[in-house]
Amino acid sequence: MFCIIALIIFSILGIFSATHRELAKEALDCVFRRVTLRPCNTGFREKIKSRILVRLLSRSTFLARLFNRHFELLSWIFFILMIASTFWTVKGGYNYYLYGSCNGLNQNGFCAFDPKGENNKVTEINATCGAVEKKEKNVTLKDVDLSSFSTKNIGSKNTVVLIGCYECDYTRKAYADIQKLVREQKTNYIFAHYPAKENTNYLSGVGYCVYKEYGERFWQFNDYLFTVDKVSIYGKDYMERILNNFEFDVNKINECLNSTETTSVVENQLKQLQKTHLYGTPTVFINGKAFVGPKPYRVYRNEIKKFIIF
Amino acid sequence: MLNYEKIKNDFPLLNKQAQKKPIVYFDSACMSLKPKQVIEAMNEYYFYFPACSGRSSHRLGELVTKKIKEARQIVANFINADEQEVIFTRNTTEAVNLLANSLDLKNEDLVLTTDKEHNSNLIPWQMLIKKKGIRHEIVKSKNDGTFDFEKYKELVKTSRLVSMVHTSNLDGTTIPAKEIIKTAHENGVLVFLDAAQSAPHIKIDVKDLDVDFLAFSGHKMLGPTGTGVFYGKYNLLEKFEPFMVGGDTVEYSTYTDHKMLKAPEKFEAGLQDYAGIIGLGEAVNYLEAIGFDNIREQELELNRYITEEISKFPKIKIIGPTNPALRSGIISFYIDDMDMHQVALMLDEMSSVMIRSGQHCVHSWFNDKKIKNSARVSLYFYNTMEEAEEFISGLNKIIKIL
Repeated sequence: MFCIIALIIFSILGIFSATHRELAKEALDCVFRRVTLRPCNTGFREKIKSRILVRLLSRSTFLARLFNRHFELLSWIFFILMIASTFWTVKGGYNYYLYGSCNGLNQNGFCAFDPKGENNKVTEINATCGAVEKKEKNVTLKDVDLSSFSTKNIGSKNTVVLIGCYECDYTRKAYADIQKLVREQKTNYIFAHYPAKENTNYLSGVGYCVYKEYGERFWQFNDYLFTVDKVSIYGKDYMERILNNFEFDVNKINECLNSTETTSVVENQLKQLQKTHLYGTPTVFINGKAFVGPKPYRVYRNEIKKFIIF
Repeated sequence: MLNYEKIKNDFPLLNKQAQKKPIVYFDSACMSLKPKQVIEAMNEYYFYFPACSGRSSHRLGELVTKKIKEARQIVANFINADEQEVIFTRNTTEAVNLLANSLDLKNEDLVLTTDKEHNSNLIPWQMLIKKKGIRHEIVKSKNDGTFDFEKYKELVKTSRLVSMVHTSNLDGTTIPAKEIIKTAHENGVLVFLDAAQSAPHIKIDVKDLDVDFLAFSGHKMLGPTGTGVFYGKYNLLEKFEPFMVGGDTVEYSTYTDHKMLKAPEKFEAGLQDYAGIIGLGEAVNYLEAIGFDNIREQELELNRYITEEISKFPKIKIIGPTNPALRSGIISFYIDDMDMHQVALMLDEMSSVMIRSGQHCVHSWFNDKKIKNSARVSLYFYNTMEEAEEFISGLNKIIKIL
């Protein structure tokens, strides 16, 4: 066991030091001998054990004695720990590649590859007095009616649902990747505005009306709202200017906005979104699977491509 | 009295440090240090007269021939032999092989050895068992590690050759060579002594011992590596067929025949290690100047101290007699269930003390006793009491972690 541990450790240290490179070669020879069922009688084990013992001895006789007496046991413990940590490291790397987090999909624990947790950050929404606890596993599209939301590429094999808000930084971060995904993978795409911040409530109605009145042109308008300066979309006056710029009929849109039908639809949309138990934006559903926070593009693509081992 | 200032000056390694500690060299039974004088003598050959000996008639060739003759004379005087009885070899091992392959041993001839033979004086005889069908018997030591003379007297009667290690590299014990040889000769048996460990430490007088053959190595007695000496009584050497022949071993040759030179030339085939032989001569000169009485006195004092201190550790077992006076400059010890390589490595790492660990090429003894290995301290005149104390201090720390 000792030789294997030594080989791995000295191989890593050998990248930076010639002395350790030589030790790595000795360890490799030792491992090779063991693999070919020959005794490792090169003295390597004794050499390294002695060096460690001398260093321990200069600090504590007790520790040195403990190490000397239980060297084999300690070797096994370190071997098992090494195997376990290797497994978790590989799994962490795999998770990071697949889900953007070492700890798994939508998990917030520390990840060395994403130390600031950027891939899991969300704009928290105002808590509703729901009976369901705010947990990743509870976020679902089950029993949620999305028929009233803006949709394109109907009939595609895969479905992407983006629930986000126009003025939220993390939704804006994810938005470009989702557009790319929809464009490249030709997925069915449903966009739902969730007003995580109350001053953008009215944008849900505007979005609904533009989509209702102008259909596909809505998507250009939507792209613009996600790229324009956030402050601009807070004011209704400025919104009218935007609508004019897109050559939409402002009166028609206002009429639509003021209709009881729109009010009812928008209220229903909000209810439907709350039924997903989402706790922050952006929340992306790809074929029903929830991705909370702005994931790297590959994460969304992998879900479509189904590159998943465990 | 030894002049340590001069000795330290002669051996540059003694002034060196490793890991910020002065190097303590306690492995002279394997390889002794070399004084500057030896190195300089060798360099002189390479710098100023790097020619052939006994072949070229030009002045450089003549000079080398003269230097080699001088070295042979120095070595002959060193063991009180005649010049033509000294054959230069690469080491003791080659000398034993020369004997084993040149002596006309026949089927059923008995070769007698001790139970503490270096592989060099064991394997050649085991090979002859297979090749010629000779027999090999071992005179086992007594429980205290000393020579069992009674057992020897029984076995020698039917022997053809007694081939024994004079001083054991395992435990430092020296066999009673003179009595052994006398008894052998009374029974018409030839005697070879492996003096690799005795020649560097005690005065050897082949005439006084009346030994038939003797060999030792240069590298264990301040000389260069790759040098050794085989001594044989001239009348016996004359009867030997050399086992290695070629250049400089014949007076002449035709396409079908040749005439061998006399000893020692006929045993020294091919171009010799002239620099090494010159260096060996210089090493002998150095040893003679130091004096064997001084060497013995220093080794015994250090051995006595180390033995006394080691005996305080109940876990440590010394191989051989407890009396240090019977163990030359060697203290070989082991601890049950402990790999002694680790002890040696730790002493090196911790205190820059260099000792040997393992089975010291006496595997047969360790296998017989079922002892894994031992650590061996081997002293020489250039070692000091401060070094011995450093060793004991390091050992003391190691013992605490067992």
